[in-house]
Amino acid sequence: MLDTAKNRWHPIAAAHDLPFRHVFHAQLLGREFAVWRADDGYVNVWENRCLHRGVRLSIGINDGRELKCQYHGWRYANRTAGCTYIPAHPADAPARTITNRTFPSAERYGLVWSAEEPEGEVPDVSGLTEGQLLVLRGIPVNAPADRLVERLKSYRFQPNDRIDGEAAAVTLEAEGEFSVALRARDGSAKTLCVFFVQPVDSNRSVIRGVLDRDAEGAHRLSILRHHNERLSALRDAAERQAAKEPAPPPIDPTFERVSIELSEMPELAAHGRKASLRVQVARKWKAAEGIAAFELKPLKGLLPTFQPGAHIDVHLPNGLIRQYSIINGPGESESYIIGVKLEPESKGGSSVLHETVREGDILAISEPRNNFPLRRDSIKTLFIAGGIGITPLLAMAQALHHSGLPHELHYFAQGKEQLAFQDRLELLRDALTPHLGLSPAETGARLRELLTGYRQGMQVYLCGPGPMLEAARQIASVLGWPETAVHFEYFKNTNKIDDSSSFEVALARSCVTLQVPAGKTILEVMRENGLDMPSSCEQGACGTCMATVIEGEPDHQDVYLNEAEKRSGTKIMTCVSRAKSARLVLDL
Amino acid sequence: MITLYDYELSGNCYKLRLLMSMLGIEYKTVPVDFYPGREHKSPWFLRINPLGQLPVIDDDGLILRDAQAILVYLASKYDPGNTWYPRDNPSLLGEISQWLAFADGITSTASAARLHDSLFYELDIDAARAGAHRLFRILDEHLWFGEQEGRDWICSAPNPTIADIACFPYVMLSEEGGISRQDYPAIRRWCDRVKRVKGFIVMSGIFPAGPARAA
Repeated sequence: MLDTAKNRWHPIAAAHDLPFRHVFHAQLLGREFAVWRADDGYVNVWENRCLHRGVRLSIGINDGRELKCQYHGWRYANRTAGCTYIPAHPADAPARTITNRTFPSAERYGLVWSAEEPEGEVPDVSGLTEGQLLVLRGIPVNAPADRLVERLKSYRFQPNDRIDGEAAAVTLEAEGEFSVALRARDGSAKTLCVFFVQPVDSNRSVIRGVLDRDAEGAHRLSILRHHNERLSALRDAAERQAAKEPAPPPIDPTFERVSIELSEMPELAAHGRKASLRVQVARKWKAAEGIAAFELKPLKGLLPTFQPGAHIDVHLPNGLIRQYSIINGPGESESYIIGVKLEPESKGGSSVLHETVREGDILAISEPRNNFPLRRDSIKTLFIAGGIGITPLLAMAQALHHSGLPHELHYFAQGKEQLAFQDRLELLRDALTPHLGLSPAETGARLRELLTGYRQGMQVYLCGPGPMLEAARQIASVLGWPETAVHFEYFKNTNKIDDSSSFEVALARSCVTLQVPAGKTILEVMRENGLDMPSSCEQGACGTCMATVIEGEPDHQDVYLNEAEKRSGTKIMTCVSRAKSARLVLDL
Repeated sequence: MITLYDYELSGNCYKLRLLMSMLGIEYKTVPVDFYPGREHKSPWFLRINPLGQLPVIDDDGLILRDAQAILVYLASKYDPGNTWYPRDNPSLLGEISQWLAFADGITSTASAARLHDSLFYELDIDAARAGAHRLFRILDEHLWFGEQEGRDWICSAPNPTIADIACFPYVMLSEEGGISRQDYPAIRRWCDRVKRVKGFIVMSGIFPAGPARAA
């Protein structure tokens, strides 16, 4: 019986077992679950072990958006169970393979249902109408499920409206391997009671009863007590019987390794920029003057886990590919939201999104990538945004705000009407300071004020127009900020790319040596030779195509690396940068 | 100033630290090497408490033993809000006393199982665990019906009382004695609520809760 049970839906909790900010400890057929309701109402059913050290996640912290393990603080996102932050590696974005196993969940009849591999939907139960039901207290019993199903067939109870009587006649209305439906009649009063027996383990079960009608106040309580008393008696009898019999061995659930989809590298394509996801524009709205916002929902399944600072490539109907930061707060995993500024000199990227793309349209996007990760071990974090540079910083500020970590968001814009995502900005309260209508000189002066007072352990994140970033980085350097504490993301690389050099590139891992002629990039030459690597902006701004340099002197032309990183000569952006030496050896 | 004769890993000592933290009472501690030193059975400690048990407090010369008794004393004397042990509410005082006795039952079962598993005491471990499960079933049922009636705490007051403090530590430490709380969802939710009381502090084996959802 239990062999096929993993394909059926079983109740694992009552809906009332899952208040906000709580983690319920469930078990089904020997497998433990950590079950938690996010603030958006989504019910997460996860393998009850942290991927790091195996500690039960049911003792973790549900912060409404993410579940945090008690042991070393790894955080996992609502819905996807993807890891969003590892405190011991504060400067890194966790690998996508760090995703906990999730199980399907459904709420029906006041109960939360799950299964390892359920087939179809939670079955309809005749006689139960959603919204009118009374869920009884779940009764855990140390006895096998089939024994309880047998006993429940002769369960006796009074209908709701004659709860104090004794004379009810009870008939068996339906029975299944894990369920029993009974109807009690006493005069004109009648009540249908459906029991679902949750097989916790081979010798442990929970009886979950649902009545076809709710009641109010004291009457409701007396009904609940009536059943609790009788079910407790049934439990005691069942446990006495089970104690006399040899206990069946506990079920040993199998713990799967990481899924194939996650453990393998994505397939090679003709070019490196893959649009592996299809999304629908669920909503398009004006986020500010000249800024359109798009909410992108998956056509099926869940969107991959993102972290604050992550961006996606949007593949536009006209063939262009553009990068946009995800502005979502933590745990907002139902959709991605992006903000797009209409560029006056648009080459067809922002103008297509503003003018052509409409609600209901399907877009192809890449998986999110995070080359702008947020540290959360800072004593104070400054976010300095210029214009549409707000987008990655808004996601970051929301994350720190939600965790109660100290931060300030300084938002430079021409005017109030240019401030995007007002509703989200308001939630940040005092952390937000707009700086409106400043001239370049005034902006420089204001940046000097904001960046004064560096103390060790502070971090600053910058995103905005190139000249503003240059100024801010320069000022930070003068005011004593170490380069490791200054994080920045450019919209685009405005450097004039000099691709006149020609050189040799040896790819150490691939055992291939290639000639890069003038006019072609390392990335292009690699792809021509069937060697793929991920890329995104392909102009030296986003950091996706970074490679490690083993030998040779890079000729940096990107805006992703900071000066110290460039001087060290250990990293290179293969989409724009070249070699000063005749030969480069890359760890590819 | 209150002096607490204290052992960090004792749930009964933690009860007092917890209430004193919630009430904002300043105190100092005298560590007693309960394990492995058995200092609670040493002559100097037996002079303070002939029962040879922790905790003991000394409040300006008043020496009191027994965790539950000390909770009563501290709440009676140092709670200006008069909510943790409301002296003028006989029915509530009756309820509180009933659950303080219940807490003693938790100590003699769940705490005993923990002493067996963690500090190698010789005792009937199966009986200790079975006894704890029997009590936890009763507490879970009580708390579940409390939730249905709109009551968050063990006693029928709109705020926590010393009954909650008395029962909390050894419930929360039960897994160190091999007693899972998986079958007691209402107890698990109540534990979250206790952890969110202002002034809550942790001890080894008792973890904090995250913030509640803003209303």
